[in-house]
Amino acid sequence: MNNRYVYGIVDGDPVEFEADAVRDAEYVYTISHRRLGAVVSDVDTTDPEETDEDARRHDEVLREIMDHDGGRAIVPMQFGMAFETDRSLKNVLRGARPAFRRALNDVEGRIELGLKVVREEGEDVDDEAIEAHVADELEPIAAQSVPNDLFSDRLVLNRSYLVERDDRETFDEAVADLEEAHDDLTFRYTGPFAPYSFVDVKIGAQR
Amino acid sequence: MFILDDLLFRPFVGIVDTLHTMALDELYDVEAIQDELKENQLLYELGDRPEAEYRERKAELEDELEIARDVHERLTSGRIEVKK
Repeated sequence: MNNRYVYGIVDGDPVEFEADAVRDAEYVYTISHRRLGAVVSDVDTTDPEETDEDARRHDEVLREIMDHDGGRAIVPMQFGMAFETDRSLKNVLRGARPAFRRALNDVEGRIELGLKVVREEGEDVDDEAIEAHVADELEPIAAQSVPNDLFSDRLVLNRSYLVERDDRETFDEAVADLEEAHDDLTFRYTGPFAPYSFVDVKIGAQR
Repeated sequence: MFILDDLLFRPFVGIVDTLHTMALDELYDVEAIQDELKENQLLYELGDRPEAEYRERKAELEDELEIARDVHERLTSGRIEVKK
């Protein structure tokens, strides 16, 4: 168990707790370089296979960190970032410091929420009008948003929103109002997640 | 016009090669299978697809995805020989 699996990057005090972690690890801790810390658990490979169970564990560890001390900012990593040694990981923390700093700044105090709007099977609806209505109601509340793939014919809209923790309730209410206004559609509202969709720091290549 | 362009600009590859590769691409479309996996998940979460059907479809699609990825890897590494 000499390799380190990375969940995400935090600023300041180290994070450590017992957890049901990736590849049956039971402990999550922080490897720091100056004020930046990589939240890791021990693994026995640098190329972990993405099973459903480990993908869920990865997400749950991130969620737990986000709930720490009333909300800790973390730059989430995609599944599968593992490093050979502590030294190689610290080198990346040092090298990508400005990028991590910027990303931490972007996600500080914010959460990611997802919304999928789904039509009934074979039902014809005015996609553009619905999209416009959703945008009118939600964009002013969200700090940022990005579109996601429309992977099914039934999807009218699939979007991720970056929302201030303090605006969460207002956002929830706006989604509920939209749902009420479009009772012929199904709204699948998910989260909060670690803000994967709003962080663009990739460190895998420098492994 | 994609097919025509592709054939015109790749005269040495040969029409059979190109059509065969395109047919393999379509048959083993990784992205389409991934989309279907996501749709299967969504329909299950919405309660539109019963759990047994969801699990069965998921297993089928995961097998298809593995095969499709393997075919693409062989195609790009030239390990699949296109018969003339």
